[in-house]
Amino acid sequence: MRFSSIGRRTRTLLVAAAAVPLFALAACSGGGDDSGAPKAAPTDGTLTVGLLGDIGQPPDPDVYYANNGLAIVLNTYEGLVQYADDKDSVEIAPRLATTWDVNADNTVFTFHLRQGVTFHDGTPFTSAAVKVAFDRRTAVKGGAAYMVEGVKDVATPDDLTAVVTLSAPNSAFLDYLASPFGPKMESPTALAANAGSDDTQTYLQTHDVGTGPYTIAAAQPGTSWTLKRYDGYWGDKSPFTTVQLPIYTDASALQLAFDHGDVSAVVAALPSSSLKKYEGSKDYASYLLPTLQSALVTVNPTKEFFKSQQARLAFLQSIDQKSLVDQVLGNRSEPATTLYAKGMIPGGADKQELTYDPSVMEAYAKTLPAGTDMTIGFASGNTNAEQMANIQAAKLQALGIKATAASYPTSQVFGWINDPTQGPDAFFDGNNGPDGGSPYMWGHVFWDASGGINYFGCEVPEVNAQLDRAVATGDDALYVAAAEEYAKTGCYYNLSYNKDWVLAQKWLTGVEQSHNIGANELDFSKLGIAQ
Amino acid sequence: MLRFLLRRTGALAVVLLVLSAVVFLLQQISPGDPARAALGANASRQAVAAERRRLGLDDPLPVQFLRFLGHAVRGDFGTSYRTHRPVATDLATAFPATLELVLAAFVVALLLAALFAASSALSWPLAGIGRGVLLVVATAPPFLLALVGIVVFYAHLDWLPGSGRGDGGPGSELAHLVLPATVLAIAPALAIGRILRAGLEATLAADHVRTARSKGLGQAAVLARHVVRNSIGPSLAMAGLQLGFLFAGTVVVEQVFSWPGMGNYLASSIPTSDYPAIAAVTLVLGAVYVVVNTLADVLQTAADPRLA
Repeated sequence: MRFSSIGRRTRTLLVAAAAVPLFALAACSGGGDDSGAPKAAPTDGTLTVGLLGDIGQPPDPDVYYANNGLAIVLNTYEGLVQYADDKDSVEIAPRLATTWDVNADNTVFTFHLRQGVTFHDGTPFTSAAVKVAFDRRTAVKGGAAYMVEGVKDVATPDDLTAVVTLSAPNSAFLDYLASPFGPKMESPTALAANAGSDDTQTYLQTHDVGTGPYTIAAAQPGTSWTLKRYDGYWGDKSPFTTVQLPIYTDASALQLAFDHGDVSAVVAALPSSSLKKYEGSKDYASYLLPTLQSALVTVNPTKEFFKSQQARLAFLQSIDQKSLVDQVLGNRSEPATTLYAKGMIPGGADKQELTYDPSVMEAYAKTLPAGTDMTIGFASGNTNAEQMANIQAAKLQALGIKATAASYPTSQVFGWINDPTQGPDAFFDGNNGPDGGSPYMWGHVFWDASGGINYFGCEVPEVNAQLDRAVATGDDALYVAAAEEYAKTGCYYNLSYNKDWVLAQKWLTGVEQSHNIGANELDFSKLGIAQ
Repeated sequence: MLRFLLRRTGALAVVLLVLSAVVFLLQQISPGDPARAALGANASRQAVAAERRRLGLDDPLPVQFLRFLGHAVRGDFGTSYRTHRPVATDLATAFPATLELVLAAFVVALLLAALFAASSALSWPLAGIGRGVLLVVATAPPFLLALVGIVVFYAHLDWLPGSGRGDGGPGSELAHLVLPATVLAIAPALAIGRILRAGLEATLAADHVRTARSKGLGQAAVLARHVVRNSIGPSLAMAGLQLGFLFAGTVVVEQVFSWPGMGNYLASSIPTSDYPAIAAVTLVLGAVYVVVNTLADVLQTAADPRLA
């Protein structure tokens, strides 16, 4: 058929049909401003850090209990202590307290406070603020209020000393304070002046009352946040006088804005599938930095398929951990060898003993009726977990089990604890972690049914008791014993140590030095511009 | 006409009541734990139980529904579990952004529809290419269209901003509107344009137009005096319908362009089972849809009283 014989309307359609792919081809080809050339450093003192998704809750340190808004909370507020930056294991470091003493039974914590610190309203930071901050956290009753539940008394013998007495021994208390979600110091004057009828919660939706290196200058929830450098800050001062935090709700749009140079840095927001583009790039800086987070497998003992411990262990042994982690998570992770997070127990004494042996599951499969079905779950939108669940389901299918992978919204996942029979048979968690670096904060949340992330309520009373004894004394041997006992349930597999992926323009310095193992965020005051 | 208006207003109230009941029931059967969503993953079981009591989630269903309805009538949709702000406050920010986007998209859709219809009915030179592009582009999923738009006009050509609503200046806001409004407008433009084209073609073939031409009237005068006014009736009804659909279309487009409107708010609220927010957005969008369609019916009836 000759082209001229085609009708006018058809010809038009063909031309038009060609136009869309041509646009797409033009978009994907080189040239233009996203050619990958290094982008120039800003000359106006503005750092732009792109956020993926609305920060969700207000950046009030006693309310905020989510992820990307920590960029605001941790740069506007400070706690008494923190985890040391630029480390791959947990280490309590000074912040507003320069030194501290703990009594022998972990009930009395004496903090010696930093001199010359002022809140953003200009008032001086003194020990009185410690009690005010702890009291407000209790009053607001947010998700992380548990961190001050054990505080019996806060004494202030002088302006620079605060003595915190607990009602029961707790060796994890310093970890609570170092946690990114731990209590932060808030100006008592500003809190009182803006108290309203809700303990200043309305005011703190768009303002801050902290001592951090930056202060909230403009808030457009859902759109963007602007921080201004606090010139009265006691610590390092960055050349960035303004930090813009625009909110992108689409990862591709955020990545394009980074490529375009409109965004200076992206922290823990882009999918692993984009990693290859930036790794080893001479035009961008890509950092894989340590976190306390892991990919995990949780098994549901309330389901018929996994009623017996043998079945659960057989399933876990059928997971080819190394291959799965390499294939799905790549350089962002390494196979976990311990039951707690990496470095939580000195010397890796909490060794995970599971060995890959698919023959055990094969033998179990032969005992099941033909076509027995089971479901492996993953959280909606978590592409890594989805891929892992699919791979494992395919392996089970090869054994004659009718295994399927299914997606569940996060809110549903956290609801299973009320009725675990509503959950899937097993669940792949792409990335999860504790609030802080104490082994108790790991063991309690993942293994104790009252902890929050033990989705299927698989618990051992003796393990809970061991963890409770361990947190009182801080005895690592007890933590190890609890972990080993829990591992026998076959409900839990620590798959990988995950890393935080920070993507930055080439001119941005201090990224590693400003990164903290406890939070997927940067301390903006430690960032700079390459000369 | 008064009786017609009263009848439509009554129907509107009934539709909204039914919509409220459906939204409430959907909340109840939806999986997920709002108390857990409000407090976060690591909150203790005791804290979550206390939060459930505080939110009234342990009350009997009828009590919860009546409370929900009573508050909704007063414009009080409660506090968002996710943002911890009154939902009405969140909507006061999000709704104007969506309205701005939808109105801009509606204007673009009308312009494109007019061009589509006129080029087809009047056989303009090269117009076929434009029509073909519109036809093909309108079949693409909106998210793909949006991404291609960002890649081409933001990343490569650097003509337009790729996301957000601008820094507050009118020029900046207008520039940020162009891409999302155009993407949102494509499909409605085609729907309106097809109806308008049919109307134009029918009118152009009518006897009175032939008579006007035979009297020596120019093309512009024929169009203005005899064709357009007699052709737009059905396309106005379609435009009203599409205006309602545009609100629903914002969910995807607002997400890709990070436009801080109701669609984005809804998309962020669903994964966390933020029931008050989901219910409020559904009710507001449902009400807008019903009101717009009622207005379109009223306008049509005003134009042709036989429809009453």
